[in-house]
Amino acid sequence: MMHLVKLELKKGNLARHIRGTLIACAIIIAVMLMMYFIKDSDSSGAVFKNQLDMLGGIDTLTRATFIIYASSLLSSLIIGEYKDNTMSLLFAYPISRKQLMFAKLSIVFVWCFFSIALTNLLTDALMLTIDSHFGYAGTPVSSGDLLLHAGSVLTQAVGAAGMSLLPLVIGLRRKSVSATIISSIFIVMIVASNNFGVSLSSIVAIPLSLAAIGVLGTYLSFRNIDRADVA
Amino acid sequence: MTQIIRTQMLTKSYGPVESVSNVSMNVRRGEIYGFLGPNGAGKSTVMKMLLGLVRPTGGEIELFGERLLPGSNEHLKRIGHLIETPVFYERLTAEQNLELHCEYMGYPNKQAIGEALRLVQLVGTENKPVKQFSLGMRQRLAIARAICTRPELLLLDEPINGLDPEGIQLMRGVFRRLRDEWGMAILISSHLLPEVEQIADTIGVINQGRLLREVPLDSVRASTTEFIEISTSDAALAAFVLTEKLGVTNFKQTGERTLRVYGTELGQEALSKGLILNDVPIESINRRHHTLEEYFFDIIKGGNGHDASRQAGA
Repeated sequence: MMHLVKLELKKGNLARHIRGTLIACAIIIAVMLMMYFIKDSDSSGAVFKNQLDMLGGIDTLTRATFIIYASSLLSSLIIGEYKDNTMSLLFAYPISRKQLMFAKLSIVFVWCFFSIALTNLLTDALMLTIDSHFGYAGTPVSSGDLLLHAGSVLTQAVGAAGMSLLPLVIGLRRKSVSATIISSIFIVMIVASNNFGVSLSSIVAIPLSLAAIGVLGTYLSFRNIDRADVA
Repeated sequence: MTQIIRTQMLTKSYGPVESVSNVSMNVRRGEIYGFLGPNGAGKSTVMKMLLGLVRPTGGEIELFGERLLPGSNEHLKRIGHLIETPVFYERLTAEQNLELHCEYMGYPNKQAIGEALRLVQLVGTENKPVKQFSLGMRQRLAIARAICTRPELLLLDEPINGLDPEGIQLMRGVFRRLRDEWGMAILISSHLLPEVEQIADTIGVINQGRLLREVPLDSVRASTTEFIEISTSDAALAAFVLTEKLGVTNFKQTGERTLRVYGTELGQEALSKGLILNDVPIESINRRHHTLEEYFFDIIKGGNGHDASRQAGA
């Protein structure tokens, strides 16, 4: 399995995706900085109620970004291979097609998880350092809250990584890059939307169940792949 | 010589349409099999079924003496292929593409890559990204990829497409070498007989999904009929004289002004003398061979090669 993952990474997309992930991370930091420094026009207070609120904001933005980014990974690793017909080359190798798909999906899952975790870590550290200097966010976060937040980030990252596979269900059916990316945007709109301070993802069970649905749904979409016509 | 491919009543339907219908073909080890048929005849579909890319809806396939089961893939280690247009990972170089192929095929000998590139004369382009390759170079690279793991069976779908005359010549030499020196069996599809007739040992003719004829090329060559072609401005009179005066019944009118006389005991001289004496205006009279192209064209058109010509004239 690891061998298949390595071969997938050898196909020349690795550098492109590292660059893409770094750009996404930079944009998240830039947006957070803008939100931090541009105060509400109708109030004198900052956008964030306290530091914990700020960290929550970073987490939501990061997950939303990387669920959508994962759909571009799915597009390049799977949909793209169908579109340029290299999938028929791949499926004519003496390797189970399911294994080939698992290798591709595990790259997306792991990439999405680590992108979320590391971007959170980096952006949190940066914003907390800045806030310790300017103090716009108000009440500092306690070390206990910070630990709880770290736990939540990791759980939510697992959830987001699972959910990030869901767009493939639609993308695979239509062999369409745009359908894959648009369905990821829908998923983000549902799970990262914020109504009166409560988002669906703030209830831990929801992102985790959606993740389970994502993994299961994706598996079901290619369970017959070994017997399907490729071209 | 044992069979390397054997299909029995192989069928593929898309809804009510049968794109391949009851194909029973036999390819022997170490032979070049020319798979001949017009565009859309079902050649690519048969090849895709052999590779497991398309699932048959009927019949069975035996490869290397073993029946192919749904989902089985072990046999793919022994097959090299080029189906339809050659596809590559465009950003990778020629060598990286071949290395990746060897890794997926579980073939550890990397030296074979250089050897394959030498065979198709692509030495010097190893480090060039494939996206910079011309169609002809891509075709050659695809053949190098298909042979670099030294498979026992090679499936090549229209491999000559996009090659210049020099490239075509080169590839013919390569295919012969692969058969003679490496003992490879090669299934080559084409819609043009001249592309395969110089190298094929056996020809299978397919049209509208049906395998119409499978025949060793040598026996076709041996049996291609000699005939006398008469060109005249009065074909009706010539036909009358042939039947009524000269007792020749085995002939066929092939055009407004031409007739072909098959297997007659009368020689060319006797025929021309007989026709002239009966006032048939003759423009030319020549002894000719029925070409292979005509033979196969007749089969595709629903006839029976030159045998059909005989019967039609009789």
